[in-house]
Amino acid sequence: MRRDALRSFGLPAPDALIGIGVALALVAVPLARPGAYLLGFLFTIFMYGALAGSWNIIGGYAGYLSFGHAAFFGLGAYTTALLLFYFGWSPFLTLPLAGVLAALFAALVGYPCLRLRGPYFSLVTLILGLTMYSLTLNLPFTQGSSGLFLPFLRVDVYTSHVIFYEVMLGLLIIVAAVLRQITRTKMGVGLTAIREDEDAAGTLGVDATRLKLQAFMLSAFLTGLIGGVYSYYKSYLDPSFVFATSISITIVLMALFGGRLAWYGPLVGAVVISIVNEMLTTHAPPQTARIVFGVLLIGVIMFLPDGLMSIAQRHLPTLAVRRARHPATRDEVA
Amino acid sequence: MTHHTSRRQMLWAMLGAWIVALAVGACGQAPAAPAAPTTAPTAPTTAPAAPTTAPAAPQGAPIKIGCSLPLTGAFADTGVWVQRGYEQWAEDVNAAGGLLGRPVELTIYDDESKTENAVNLLNRVISVDQADLLCGGYPGTAAAAQMAVAEKNQKVYVSMGGHMASFSQGFTYVFGAPPLMGQWWYEGLYGWLASLPEAERPKKAAIFTINNPVGAAILEPMPEKLSALGIEIVVNERYDVPLTDAAPLVTKAKGAEADIFFANGFFPDSVQIVKAMRALDYNPKLIAQGVGSIIPAWVEELGADGYYVFSGTAVHPSLPFEGISRLNEVARAKYNAPVAPIYFIFGYAWMQALQRGVEGAQTLDQTAIRDWLKSNQITTVAGTFTFDERGLPPPYNYLTQVIDGKVELIWPPEVRTKEPIYPKPAWGQ
Amino acid sequence: MLYELAQSLTGGLLIGGALAVLSVGFSMAWGITHVLNVAHCAFAVLAAYLGYWALNRWGIDPLLALPIMLPTFFLLGVAMHTLLIRATARRAHDPGLATMVLTFGLGIVIENGMLLAWTPDPRVLKTAYSALTLQVGPVIVQAPHLIAFGLAVITIGALYLFTERTFMGKAVRAVWQQPMGAALSGIDLDRVTTIAYGMAVATAAVGGVAMSLLYTFDPATHLSWLVYVFLVVILGGVGSILGSALAGLIIGLIIGISSVFVPLAWNNLVLFGLLIVLLLLRPQGLLQR
Repeated sequence: MRRDALRSFGLPAPDALIGIGVALALVAVPLARPGAYLLGFLFTIFMYGALAGSWNIIGGYAGYLSFGHAAFFGLGAYTTALLLFYFGWSPFLTLPLAGVLAALFAALVGYPCLRLRGPYFSLVTLILGLTMYSLTLNLPFTQGSSGLFLPFLRVDVYTSHVIFYEVMLGLLIIVAAVLRQITRTKMGVGLTAIREDEDAAGTLGVDATRLKLQAFMLSAFLTGLIGGVYSYYKSYLDPSFVFATSISITIVLMALFGGRLAWYGPLVGAVVISIVNEMLTTHAPPQTARIVFGVLLIGVIMFLPDGLMSIAQRHLPTLAVRRARHPATRDEVA
Repeated sequence: MTHHTSRRQMLWAMLGAWIVALAVGACGQAPAAPAAPTTAPTAPTTAPAAPTTAPAAPQGAPIKIGCSLPLTGAFADTGVWVQRGYEQWAEDVNAAGGLLGRPVELTIYDDESKTENAVNLLNRVISVDQADLLCGGYPGTAAAAQMAVAEKNQKVYVSMGGHMASFSQGFTYVFGAPPLMGQWWYEGLYGWLASLPEAERPKKAAIFTINNPVGAAILEPMPEKLSALGIEIVVNERYDVPLTDAAPLVTKAKGAEADIFFANGFFPDSVQIVKAMRALDYNPKLIAQGVGSIIPAWVEELGADGYYVFSGTAVHPSLPFEGISRLNEVARAKYNAPVAPIYFIFGYAWMQALQRGVEGAQTLDQTAIRDWLKSNQITTVAGTFTFDERGLPPPYNYLTQVIDGKVELIWPPEVRTKEPIYPKPAWGQ
Repeated sequence: MLYELAQSLTGGLLIGGALAVLSVGFSMAWGITHVLNVAHCAFAVLAAYLGYWALNRWGIDPLLALPIMLPTFFLLGVAMHTLLIRATARRAHDPGLATMVLTFGLGIVIENGMLLAWTPDPRVLKTAYSALTLQVGPVIVQAPHLIAFGLAVITIGALYLFTERTFMGKAVRAVWQQPMGAALSGIDLDRVTTIAYGMAVATAAVGGVAMSLLYTFDPATHLSWLVYVFLVVILGGVGSILGSALAGLIIGLIIGISSVFVPLAWNNLVLFGLLIVLLLLRPQGLLQR
C-alpha cells in the first residue's frame, strides 16, 4: 500500500530512488577532499561497474555471453588516445567518437557473429578480442609494441583525479540508467524472450536479429566510451592493458557474480569484487590473498548461484522468469 | 501487508549494505599493511655484518618507502627477487644507523603482474600511506605506467624504466639507476665484436624479436649497429607469444645460412628456440639472447644445451664493485643461491641510488633529491653513475656468456671473468 | 621452401596432437556436463608439475607416472563434481554460468597453491629422450613431439572406443545428445555426468604431461594454454571427441603453414581469421552433434 501511495505522488520506484540517492552521494564525494588514492580506487570501481553493466545488455539480458568485450574497450581507448597523440584533440571531446567507432565495429562483426548461439558466440567473441590485440600489436600507426605515451591534463594532479572521477561516475550513471530503462521497456521484454527461447520469441513477434544487433551495438557503444576515458587517465597505453582477455573475463565474472538479471546486479558485483580484492591485497601475503579470493568466489557462487542479487530477486524488479525447478525438465544437465 | 514490510526491510538492508561497502572502501586508512613477508629464516649466524664500527641505532619516526611488485602472476619469478633485494637494502641500512638517522620501513604491495593494480597501488602508496619515498616497479610496462603517476605527483622514482620511450617524455623525477634499457641491451656484444678482426666476425644475422615493447626496444638500434660491424641482416622477423612452434624460426635462419642468431625474446620462447636449434642441428657461430638466459632457471632447467649463449645485463654478481661480494654471500646464506641473482642486485642497487640521493640532499624533499642526483655522481653495487636531464646514465651494458653452467662476464675487458668461447661448439659438447 | 613446408607441417601436426589431447577433456566437460571448466588447464599444469617432480625427485619418467596420475585426477574430478558442481548447478537458474564462476575461483586457488608450493620459477622437462630426434626423409622429428602425439592418439582413441563400445560410454554419448531421452531410458544422469567429468579431468592430466614435453611451464602458464583449448573447442565442436582431435590437428597445421608463407608476426591473426571464417560458415564446429 505504501508503494502505491508513493506512486500517487509521482515519485519513482524504490530502486530508482536508492540509485539516485547513491549517485548524488558519490558525485558529492570530492567535496570532502578525500585522498587521491580513494578517488583512483573509486574510479576503477566505477569503470568496472560501468563495463560489467554495459556487457550485461548483451550478455545478461540477451543471454549472448561475450568473452571479448575488451575489444570494444580497447577500440575506444585507442581511438581517443591516437587522436590525442597525433592531432592533440582532447579525449573529452572525441569521446563520442570512441563510442561510435566501437558501435560500428560491433555492427560489422555482430551481424555474422550473432547468428551463432550459446558457446559458439562466446568463443567467437573471445577470438575477436584476441584478434584486436594482435592487430593493434602489429599495425604500425598504433605504436602497438612500443607503447603510447599521452600528455597529461594541464591541471594539478589532484584536480585531474577529481575530473576523471566525475567523468567515470557520469558514465556509470548513464550505464545504470540505460540498464534500468531497458528493463521497463519493450526492449527488455524482447531481450528476455531471446534469452529464454529465441526461436519461440520469433513467433511472438520479436525481431530477434534486429534486437540482438541493437543490444550489441548499444553495449559496444557504452564500452567504447569507457575505454575512451581510460586511456587518457592512464597516460600510457599498451595493447596488453586494454585488449587483455583478463579484462573480458573479469567483466563477465563481475556481472555473473552480482546477478545478471537485475540492472544493479553487475554494478554490485563490480563493487564487491573490487573491494574484496583490494582488502585482500593490502592485508594478506600475496598468494594467500589470491587463494582466499578464489575460495570466497567458490563459496558465494555455491550458495547464490544466480549472483548476489538473487537474494533480492523475488522482491525487486529484475528480468527473472520463474523456471521449473526439476532438472529433468530442463535442457541443462550438470 | 507483510509482503510490503519485508520488501521494505529488504530495501533498507540493501541500502545499508551498499553504504557500508562504500564506507569500507572509503576507509582507505587501513592499518599499515604488514611489511611484505620474506622467506628468509631467522638471521643466520654466518651472515656477514656490514660496518665494523657499531653505528648508533636509527631513531625517530620511520621513513616510509612504498611501491608495488608482481609477487603473483606472470612476472612473479622476477618480482620476488626484486622484493628480496629491496628488503636486504632496508635491513642493511637499518643496521648501519638508518637513513638520515631514522629507520626505514618498506611496504611492498602485490600488483598481481597487472599494470592496472600497479598504478592504483602506487597512488595508494602516495596518498594513503603517505610514503616519503617510492621504490620502483616491474616489469617495464608497469614501471612506465608508474613513472607517469610519480611524475604527476612530483615524486622521485628510481626503477628499471620502460625503455627509451619512457625517458623521452620530459619527465624530470624519474631515474634509471641503472635502467633495463632494451636499446642498450647488446652494447657489450657490439663492443666485443668490434674488437675482433673483421674476418673472424659472423657475417649474416638472423634476428627474431618478441612482439612487445621490450623486443621493440632491443631491436631498435640493431640495423645500424650490425651494419657498422659489417654484419648483414638476412632474416628479421617478429613473433607473438605464446610461441607454438620454434622450428620455423630455426629453419628460416638455417635456410639463410645465418651464422649469428638473435633470440630477442623471453625465457619460454628462447628455451624452445634453443631446443629446436639442437633438434634441427643448426649451430650458428654465435647465439645472442634477450631476457632470460641469465636467470638461474636457464642453466638449471635447460642444462648444457643452454651453454655458450650470449646476452646483456646492467648488473652482475661478478662485477668488481663494492658490496657485490657481500651480496653474494648473503644470497648464499639466506636463499641458497649460488650467487646473488641479477634482480636481487638490481633491487638493492635501485634502493641504494635513492639512498644516495637522500643522503646527498640531506632531506626528504623530492625536488631537492632530484636536483642533487642530477648534479652529482653516485656509487652503488651496480657501479658509478651520473645522470642526465632524462635521469639516465651514459649508455652501457655488459656482455655475458653462459660457460660451464655459470654466467660469465665477457666485455668490457676490465670486468672480464672468463675468455669467451667463440665460435659455438657443436651441440652436445 | 618445400623442405620448410614439410618440416613445419610435421611439427605443426605433432603439436596439434598435444593441443587436441589437452582440449578434449574441456570439450567433454562442456558438452556433456554443461560445465565450462575454466580450471581445466590449471589441472593440466598441476599434472605437468607432478610429472616434473616425479622425474627430478625420484627419476621416474612422467609417462610412467601417468598411470598413477590418471586415477588420482579422475577421483579429483569426481569429487569436484559431486561436492561443488552438482550442488551449484542444481540451484542455479543458469548452471553453465554459475559453474563457470565456480571453476574460475578454483583455477585461482590451484594456480596460487602451486605458486606457494613450487615458486614462480619456470620449469623445463628434461627426460632421457628430450634431445632425441628421428630423421624421416629431409624432415627432422623431435622425440618429445612424437611421444606427445602418441599420448594424444592413445588417449583420444581410448576415449572414442569408450563412448562407442562400452555401456557407460554409450550412456555418456546418450546424455550428450539427448539428455531428456537418456533420462527417460533410465540412465542415471547424475552418475553419468559425474563420471564423464572425472574422465575430463583425467585427460587434463594427460594433456598437461603432453604439453610439458613441448613447452616450459610455471603456475601462470595455464591461462595461455586455455587460449589454445578454446580455439580447439570452437573449431571441433563442443562435446565432440573426434572433433577435438581433428581441430587440434588442423590448428597445428594452420600454424605450421602460415609460418612459412606469412611473416611470423601475423601468424596468430591468420589463425584467428581462419577460425572466425570457419565458424561463421559452419557454426556447430567441424563435427556436428
